[in-house]
Amino acid sequence: MSAAAATFKPAVETAPQSGARLVVSTLEKLGVEVLFGYPGGAIMPIYDALAGSSLRHYLCRHEQGAAFAADSYARVSGKVGVCMATSGPGATNLVTGIANAMLDSIPMVCITGNVAQGVMGMDAFQEVDILGVTLPIVKHSYLVRSAADIPAVIEEAFHIARSGRPGPVLIDLPKDVQFEMTDAPRGIHLSNAIDVADAAVIDDAAAAIRAAKKPVLYIGGGVKISGAVQAVRDFAAMTGIPQVSTLNALGTIPTGQDNFLGMLGMHGTRCANEAVQESDLLIVIGARFDDRATGKLIEFAPHAGVVHFDIDPSEIGKLRKVAVGVTGDVKPNIEALNARLSSGPAIEVSEWADKWRAKAIACAFDYNAPGEGVFAPQLLNELSQKAGPSFIAACDVGQHQMWVAQYCEFSRPQAHITSGGLGSMGFGLPAGIGAKLAEPDACVVTITGDGGVMMNIQELATVNRFKIPLKIIILDNSRLGMVRQWQEFFFERNFSEVDLSDNPDFVKVAEAFGIPAFRVDARDQVSAGIDRLLATEGPILMHVIIDPNDNVWPLVPPGKNNAEMLEGAR
Amino acid sequence: MTDTVHILIDRADGALQRLIGLVERRGFHIDAMTMAPEGSALAVALTVRGRDVGRSIDNLGLQIDRLVGARRISNDATFRSEAA
Repeated sequence: MSAAAATFKPAVETAPQSGARLVVSTLEKLGVEVLFGYPGGAIMPIYDALAGSSLRHYLCRHEQGAAFAADSYARVSGKVGVCMATSGPGATNLVTGIANAMLDSIPMVCITGNVAQGVMGMDAFQEVDILGVTLPIVKHSYLVRSAADIPAVIEEAFHIARSGRPGPVLIDLPKDVQFEMTDAPRGIHLSNAIDVADAAVIDDAAAAIRAAKKPVLYIGGGVKISGAVQAVRDFAAMTGIPQVSTLNALGTIPTGQDNFLGMLGMHGTRCANEAVQESDLLIVIGARFDDRATGKLIEFAPHAGVVHFDIDPSEIGKLRKVAVGVTGDVKPNIEALNARLSSGPAIEVSEWADKWRAKAIACAFDYNAPGEGVFAPQLLNELSQKAGPSFIAACDVGQHQMWVAQYCEFSRPQAHITSGGLGSMGFGLPAGIGAKLAEPDACVVTITGDGGVMMNIQELATVNRFKIPLKIIILDNSRLGMVRQWQEFFFERNFSEVDLSDNPDFVKVAEAFGIPAFRVDARDQVSAGIDRLLATEGPILMHVIIDPNDNVWPLVPPGKNNAEMLEGAR
Repeated sequence: MTDTVHILIDRADGALQRLIGLVERRGFHIDAMTMAPEGSALAVALTVRGRDVGRSIDNLGLQIDRLVGARRISNDATFRSEAA
């Protein structure tokens, strides 16, 4: 995401106002429309000041839900997600959501109340050093000690959250600061310079690409973040170089497009992984060599040089030596690369690309399976086709997450919302809420498992209270499916603590929360079920029973290289 | 093998904790540490040693550079007088 122009103007009110009022007015001035949170004792002054403001506050039913919803709102809207919580348990409940945003580089500002400064460090009621707790999982954090600092701190927090490599920023506000009256708020002016690489480095990258015989384009989530989707699509179309994607970058190249080989890594496609392993040059854009993508790192793409584009200099060479490191905002750098490559002789990789296009067809996923039971991959493919171009899948974590990545069709990166880096179960339902509020006209479907949905099932109350027309699919195998799968293959079928067969009746649960629901437990009900789900105007939940023995294929075993994929029959 | 990294960092709540935590999380032992106030900042010298051979001091420098409030990072102590 390019750093947006800072539009903040210092507060002009001369009448004294409270720190809490300054928080609200500064958020309003920064253009915040939506925030998520949960009140409590140490943040009550801010909630008091919220009344009558232009901010639309969504009361979630758990702070973790609020953080995940803010994260997803940011992913879909491209804005900074905002969430709030009180001190102590409220703040610690945000922690997983903050880590989730950190691992996926999502711009988020988290505001926590804290006990008054006079009792800080005294083990006061609901006191936790949340600044200390979150230090490893934030891009930056503040403990505000004076109300006059609030506008400057919030503006700077927004700037830090969305500029460069985005990430979460925490603002901890002691209660006395929220009450403090001030008539001298400070404003600041921030530079929004965009880092662009030197021309000579772009020349080096272009030369390496021209010299390659077997190049592969490796696309990461940074492409969407920097707004470089079109530039990368232009690069792919112009050069014809085969492309692979990380989990977080799905949709950057539309599913089914020529030369797109799919996702690489542990549950990637065979042809994506094999192409990378055979390549002589990896053009890595906005990706960080995550171990789920690379498999055994030392054997990853063993013959390939690397040209790495990333805004974060510390990612260049962190895990893999590079031949050319291009640091800076990806969008202008890829545009500059395209300009270089468009003059001079065309890139000639057609034989290499033809080979992988043919292999992609030969290795295409099979949507059929024997039996009468619901086959989740077939259901998901049909869902994404019927949902149309506005489809957004807000995924939870587990087997269904991988099936969504493998079998749904995506035409834009905002269509695939997933907890990639942290892999947080419980993400799906609040992520659906955030996505729907960010893009109200989109067809947003939360796809979750019976394990994941139970981790934030209370957010059904949020869906119902605000009548958010979210579609929810629970793929229920009465198991912790991914753990069970690993136990089957790597722990000698010792199925330890994965049985969830005493799940509640999810249809009744949904109805108890005021959300209509229905059950699908046979393959011949799937089509009609999807139709009903998509045709319903308000929120609705479809509870789908799937085979507990279904596995996700292919699979790169842990510690193996990506060429050593296991495949199995259903 | 040890390296000494000199950092000039804004004095703020959690600044030192943030710096030391980052160095340790990124796989370095801190063998020695000295610090002195320098205006509104702290001049910190950390003598560090990689936990294994995969730890690059250059990458550690880049990671420290990402910290908001880290004004200067160097393996050369002379920058302190420049900053002052």
